[in-house]
Amino acid sequence: MRTLLVTPFPPYRDGIATYATQELRRLRADGAEVDVLSPVPSAARWHLPLGGPSAMVPLARRAAAYDRTLIQFGPELLFGRCRSAAERVAVWSGLAVLAARNPVELRIHEIEYGPLEQHPIERRLARLALGRARRVTVHTEAERAALDRLVGLGQRIDVIEHGRDFRPAVVRSRDVARAELGLSADHCLFVAIGFLQHHKGFDRAVDAVDRLNGLDVELHVVGSARVDHPDITGYVDRLRARCAEVASATLHDRFVSDVEFDLWLQAADAVVLPYREIWSSGVVERARLFETQIVASDLPQLRDQAPAGTIFFSDVDELTVALEKLRSATGRPIELAAEDATEDATDPPAGDRGGGSWIVEADHPDRASIQSQIAARARSTEIAGVATGGHRLGDRRPVDALLALGHLHRPEPNSARPGVAPVKRLIERLIAWRIDPLAMRLEELQRATIQAVAQLDGTGREDATPTHNERTPSS
Amino acid sequence: MLSEAAFGLAQRGHDVEILSTCARDHYTWANEFPAGTVEIPAGRGDGDRAVLVRRFEVERDTPGTVRDRIGDRILAGETVSIQDQQRWMNDSLRCSGLWNHVFDHGDRYRAIVLAPYMFWTTYALSQIRPERSIIMPCLHDEPPAYLELFRSMIEGVHGVWFLTEPERDVAARLYRLPDRQAIVGASVEFPESHAPDEFRAEYGIDGRYVYYGGRREWGKGWHDLVLGYVRYLERRSGRSALQLVTSGVGPVDRPAGTERHIVDVGLLSDRQRDNAMAGADAYLQPSAMESFSRTVLEAMLASTPVIANRASEVVAWHLAESGAGLTYEGEAELVECLDFVTDEPAAAAALAIDGPAYVSDRYRLDHVLDRMTATLDRWLPVRRVQEVAG
Repeated sequence: MRTLLVTPFPPYRDGIATYATQELRRLRADGAEVDVLSPVPSAARWHLPLGGPSAMVPLARRAAAYDRTLIQFGPELLFGRCRSAAERVAVWSGLAVLAARNPVELRIHEIEYGPLEQHPIERRLARLALGRARRVTVHTEAERAALDRLVGLGQRIDVIEHGRDFRPAVVRSRDVARAELGLSADHCLFVAIGFLQHHKGFDRAVDAVDRLNGLDVELHVVGSARVDHPDITGYVDRLRARCAEVASATLHDRFVSDVEFDLWLQAADAVVLPYREIWSSGVVERARLFETQIVASDLPQLRDQAPAGTIFFSDVDELTVALEKLRSATGRPIELAAEDATEDATDPPAGDRGGGSWIVEADHPDRASIQSQIAARARSTEIAGVATGGHRLGDRRPVDALLALGHLHRPEPNSARPGVAPVKRLIERLIAWRIDPLAMRLEELQRATIQAVAQLDGTGREDATPTHNERTPSS
Repeated sequence: MLSEAAFGLAQRGHDVEILSTCARDHYTWANEFPAGTVEIPAGRGDGDRAVLVRRFEVERDTPGTVRDRIGDRILAGETVSIQDQQRWMNDSLRCSGLWNHVFDHGDRYRAIVLAPYMFWTTYALSQIRPERSIIMPCLHDEPPAYLELFRSMIEGVHGVWFLTEPERDVAARLYRLPDRQAIVGASVEFPESHAPDEFRAEYGIDGRYVYYGGRREWGKGWHDLVLGYVRYLERRSGRSALQLVTSGVGPVDRPAGTERHIVDVGLLSDRQRDNAMAGADAYLQPSAMESFSRTVLEAMLASTPVIANRASEVVAWHLAESGAGLTYEGEAELVECLDFVTDEPAAAAALAIDGPAYVSDRYRLDHVLDRMTATLDRWLPVRRVQEVAG
């Protein structure tokens, strides 16, 4: 059987490309003849600029030469260049035609519900396209139910295991993984990993470890901005600033290799998924490969996907409690790991108690342990004072005004009006030789000023970086 | 470089395959060799193993405008998003056949050695089997080396082979190197003899000369060398001066009036090149970005002193270690170097006296292969992974 796999593909690196590569390996091992078509030039045999209506006819033409077409469906893949509801409707129509003429499987990684809920015509065409597909697959029961609610395909939507084709890029013991990453061997180590963007909620993990206020705990946020968009770079800037304020949190703003990604998961005492929203998570599956403890937002999709023993939380207070329990359990069997942190949700927020929750068994209090916690808290309070240069976290410092100015973000040359975007792009190209050096100089001046003020200010920020500028003009 | 290592390893009994493209020229990437496989004997004996060469067609179906645009920003030292870095990388040659071969059969190989760091083939293939990939980066301190793309690549592979200590130092400054790293070097071919008179007779060169062999292009420092040489001629007005003999590709761009002094002999065979080096009062290396500089080592083998741009850390290091030449920074120093060689030929020649021993001790093929096999045995012992079938 000849299969056409339509997907983002290496050497581009993102979650779906990694997923598709692993599926390709299995399909070929099973004897299938598989070619890949990717939306941009890559290691795929074919590439086609997907993302808008104009790609649908060539895609159908290419798919006609195969016995089966498997589309790793994500909003960017098929709709990434659409600028209007009309274009989205055209894509859905093209997909419906494609599915009518060829056996198509739609592997749904994510669908944007908003447009489908708002536009009945788009919803009808989505239902038509999905209904004509030979197979529609998702990764969690929650996704299946949500999709069914919208397009009404019922049991025709199959749930398949997200990580069925996953395999480790590297296998190490926890100690060796930590040594290779240059991490402390004996601290309790939490890892939040993935592309840095608001909906991943990594800032919530930073807030939680801040409340732990501990010397023996570390949170490592690992990842990079996936695309150069003001919203994302602004979020990363804010996250960086926040991590700089919290002694036990470190941001590794890095584009990591697959090997390093798996090393982090194996080095961690727990991997934290503080997502605000998600469809299904590749990180869950990779953490599962190494049986690493997972602490995850209480979202239906993650509830479905995460393995037994996962600790779920609803807000930063609950996450703080969960991390505190894990910290206290490190070094002995993690009995608490199977519990929901939500059981302690009636406790007052850790922040209100001044130093995070105490680890104590009410029936059999361990005096030595309590004494030890008292000493640790006292030390961490002193160090936190030093680390913030004597400033309380809520205080405004002179450098903050400069940081708040944000990066100089130039508006994207986009427009919903036909023909305007190309003109904007042309103008951008024509004036770039004058504008780019000025913009670079401005950025350099801003950075230098922030660092100079930070040094005078006593905060000594080497990583002083402006935050997202809320006044940035949009297109 | 890798080809010599491949054949050398095969002669030592390893099963070796060369995976490559059908291109001959990395400027055009045109498919010139036929796709498919060919076996080439590793040695001259009947019983010698053969090296299997697999060639795959290159795909160049994009205009390259994205690469040019983003490449300009990279060279200007701008911060480029990871998305743009990936677009830059993929708007160049690609080779899906080669990628698929490694994807489907990569587990048959004990080690996959990839070079150099900046090519798509290295970047793309290193992701497939990182646990058995060794990169030979041939790294310079240049803007692309600072990209996140390459940092994650170097940090993610199983091992790194460097050509020299300075190259490793550059990498250590830029990346968190894996523990499995070694300086293996590269081999230089040792000519049986040098015959400078043969070269003089063949090209009608009577007087004393300095020599440059290689690509005559901006990136190699050729134009700066010509400017410095003209300055030297001006300064030596009325006195004897050395000719500048050059071989290789690229326009010579001689200033008017220097035709008698700057002599282009075109492309030379290895033997002609060795003879040209042996006849020269000095070999000139104006490039600031060398990762190994084989020609400098070939000049040392010919006992010819080297005059090199100090901006190349690797060449400066070779010369500091061997003592076999001089370095310069800027035109004025270049002119002084040329003056010294012109006026003090015996002293200049004496500088080069330890050159042959330096090269012989470090860069004989046997020594390089010893280092490669030693690291392979440590990093990827045969018991751990299946040796190549065949």
